[in-house]
Amino acid sequence: MKCEICRDLLEEYLDAELRAEEAEEISAHLITCVQCAASYAALTAEQEMFVRYDREIEVPSGLWDSITTEITPATSVTETPAKSTLFDHLAGLFRFPSLSFASAAAVLLLALMIGAFYLLRHNANTQSPKLSVAVDNNERRDVKSPSAKDDSPAPQQVPIRTPIKAPTVQKNLVVANRKQNRTAEIDHFDVLSSDLGYQDLEDQDTAKHIEQTQNLLRSIRNVTVSDSDDEIDVTYDKALSRRLLNENIVLRRDAEMKAKFPTKTLLSDLEPILIDIANLPDQAKPEDVRVIKERVQKTEIVAELLGAGDYR
Amino acid sequence: MKRLAVEELNLEGQPGSFAGTLMNSSADLVTRACQGDQEAFRLIFERYSRPVMSFTFDMVNDRGLAEELTQETFVRAFRNLRSMREETKLSTWLFGIAKNVARESIRARVRTRNQVDLDDEAVLDLSDTAPEPVDRLLGKELNQHIRRALASLDEDRRMVFTLKVFHQCSYEEIATITGFSLAKLKTDLHRARAEMRRRIRPYAGVGYEV
Repeated sequence: MKCEICRDLLEEYLDAELRAEEAEEISAHLITCVQCAASYAALTAEQEMFVRYDREIEVPSGLWDSITTEITPATSVTETPAKSTLFDHLAGLFRFPSLSFASAAAVLLLALMIGAFYLLRHNANTQSPKLSVAVDNNERRDVKSPSAKDDSPAPQQVPIRTPIKAPTVQKNLVVANRKQNRTAEIDHFDVLSSDLGYQDLEDQDTAKHIEQTQNLLRSIRNVTVSDSDDEIDVTYDKALSRRLLNENIVLRRDAEMKAKFPTKTLLSDLEPILIDIANLPDQAKPEDVRVIKERVQKTEIVAELLGAGDYR
Repeated sequence: MKRLAVEELNLEGQPGSFAGTLMNSSADLVTRACQGDQEAFRLIFERYSRPVMSFTFDMVNDRGLAEELTQETFVRAFRNLRSMREETKLSTWLFGIAKNVARESIRARVRTRNQVDLDDEAVLDLSDTAPEPVDRLLGKELNQHIRRALASLDEDRRMVFTLKVFHQCSYEEIATITGFSLAKLKTDLHRARAEMRRRIRPYAGVGYEV
């Protein structure tokens, strides 16, 4: 392939809009031609720069309410209220409460009584509170809360696992155990939705990216795939994966430049999986989804994301 | 057809958003919304409001106006859900409506002001030619340059560039949204990229020699 032809097609190649044969030719040419490869690298760098474009806009929380107001059919009540006279007003003050008002008042009173009863019960319970704390041997034990400590005999010492806030020395001692029991931790501590593990990344963008990727991979990992399924709609996941992939490339390079090698390694591990999801057809075959699911499970990438804090 | 059905995700950082995400395919949501299920339409809104608002913002370069146009887009979408063809992707359809809404707004403003306004910086000031290291520009400053360069593009090119580069739409989807021929959109996209490159290069310091 001539360089002129290659360069004419580079943008379409970057956009993944070429036919398979053309794309293969370009790929082969880029391996051998330094100039064209440099042009492609420049295009890629440009693309990455645009991916970082942040408009700094947020969808206002009240926007949906405004839309609801417009799309909700207007009530067709057009009757005009009868004009009330001063006499009607005064008469109303002495009128016997209507049934609807009386029933509303009764409900309100009942609600107040239930609320007061609940508060009393709640206060009684909080005088001797107990915390259910997960411990290293994956059991749950009840321990007295610190506030109750003064008024009660010294509680039995329980090895409480504090993965994030533990002092450095203690932390080093538990690292081995923690890694050993990682799979069990995921099940028992329900930390899939926790963002504590990202504290050491010091990079909100990376932390947010990892959280979103974790959510995506978790959804893939947990999907139930059966052979009886004709196809699985992954349109949204695919689009999300494409976006995350672009972000991932940028963040990985950032991490590499700033010598954040653990973060870089983590992001490098994510990329092949994101590429796989991004390349799924909109209506994916169950076996394709299953392959990705198994890959997510085998690599324990979700656990790796959760354990990002261990890289500190 | 089966869909991925799992946990709630909080995507795109939308305030208070329950993305609904993988629980509902777009087709299901549209069907339910057509039957008057407002909750389904809310999920559609939460899923697509941010991309739609980003797109309208790129087109009109005005935050407040972008919000109004996003609102108008979803109101029109709700009222015309039944007219959506089954084979059309929801995102493509929504972008198509957003495109019309944005264009109408731009034309209305052009009639009154004869130009596309900038949000808080009314002038495309590209006179600061001193190149700076790319690292320093990776934040707000680069965003400003991209935004200005984008606002300076011809409307058609801006639309095609935004849909391809920021929203990763395929050429086919862009053709559906814009109504442009494949040849026109390829030309527009190429020229938009060249124009953006020319305007950003002095600031980004990236040696584009494509």
